[in-house]
Amino acid sequence: MPEHLSRPEAQQLPERVTMPLLTLITQQSLDEDYLHVAERQAAGAPRPPRVRPHRTAAVVIAVFGILVTTAAVQTSRNADITDASRASLVSQIGDRRATVSDLQDRIVRLRESNVGLEQQLNQVTSTEQDAASRVTRLETVAGYVPVTGEGVRIVVDDAPNGDATQAVRDEDLAKLVDGLWSAGAEAIAINGYRLTVLSAIRNVNVAIHVNSRPLTPPYTVEAIGDTRTLQANLLDSTLGSEFFSLAEQLGFVYSMHNVDELSLPAARFPRLRSVQAGTSADQKTHMDEETNP
Amino acid sequence: MIAALGLLVGILLGLWFRPDVPLGLEPYLPIAVVASLDAVFGGLRAYLDGIFDDKVFVVSFISNVVIAAAIVYLGDKLGVGGQLSTGVIVVLGIRIFSNVAAIRRHLFHA
Repeated sequence: MPEHLSRPEAQQLPERVTMPLLTLITQQSLDEDYLHVAERQAAGAPRPPRVRPHRTAAVVIAVFGILVTTAAVQTSRNADITDASRASLVSQIGDRRATVSDLQDRIVRLRESNVGLEQQLNQVTSTEQDAASRVTRLETVAGYVPVTGEGVRIVVDDAPNGDATQAVRDEDLAKLVDGLWSAGAEAIAINGYRLTVLSAIRNVNVAIHVNSRPLTPPYTVEAIGDTRTLQANLLDSTLGSEFFSLAEQLGFVYSMHNVDELSLPAARFPRLRSVQAGTSADQKTHMDEETNP
Repeated sequence: MIAALGLLVGILLGLWFRPDVPLGLEPYLPIAVVASLDAVFGGLRAYLDGIFDDKVFVVSFISNVVIAAAIVYLGDKLGVGGQLSTGVIVVLGIRIFSNVAAIRRHLFHA
């Protein structure tokens, strides 16, 4: 607000309005009424007749004394209760602190056991992964499941002249199959018959039997494995090179090429008669053997 | 002299009877004591100033006590009882101090 506007108004206002609050309280600490009465008396008003001077004041002072005493008595009477409630609060605080520290200890214990359990979980998970991969490996080797993957297809046929001595025999196919196993093949089938660890290849008369089932030429050997290395490994291996030199000598008709996707069926399973489930201790020893077949 | 006697009688009565303050009024007792203290010191100063008046003293005593208690009661109802009683005590305390200062000037001329 502009100065020149507020100035005349402020002069009109009474002093008690414009005075700061603290100053007002300090200056008017004495009740104004005393002054008013004194001024009235000084102006000549008749002094009220005072028969018993200050008796009323004494009564009021007595009331004041009663008031003060009552307050003091009340406070001292309540002191016990206040102390008691404070003591109970203090003991409650102590109890709660103990509870809190107990709970914190429990948190620590639970965290530690949590860590232990996590480690156990990790161990169990890795064991489970090992077992799963082992199951997959065993299933593949045992021909338990149909498998697909890139691999090599080798087609072998008897020599075209029809000479019985130049026909493909069981040992030739066995050499080829063993060469493929040693070259890193993971699953092998001949003419759609899956080879497993129990499979046998043998001649009955002129026909070759695989798993006691007769085959007719041409013999299609399908092996799933790494196509980048399987053929080269086969040629490098003793059995493979023996087979191919034999095939050259006897004039077998054969071809070998990589296939992007081969599908081999599951093997037929012989009925188990004598085998019983082993214990976990047996499993442990067998696992070591399987890792190095 | 008669006032001092009255104070003594009041204290003795209070000690003798130990009146029970109703539980509802208990929080207002300290405020009432401070307000009455203000009135008493005001009266004493007026006495020393030579302008003491019975009627003014009685009225100021009663009105101080009632108004202080009423303000705190109102504050309790509004939920600001603690703050209002603090304000009342501050104002009354300032008045008591300045009154006591005036009394001191009268008694010791210092």
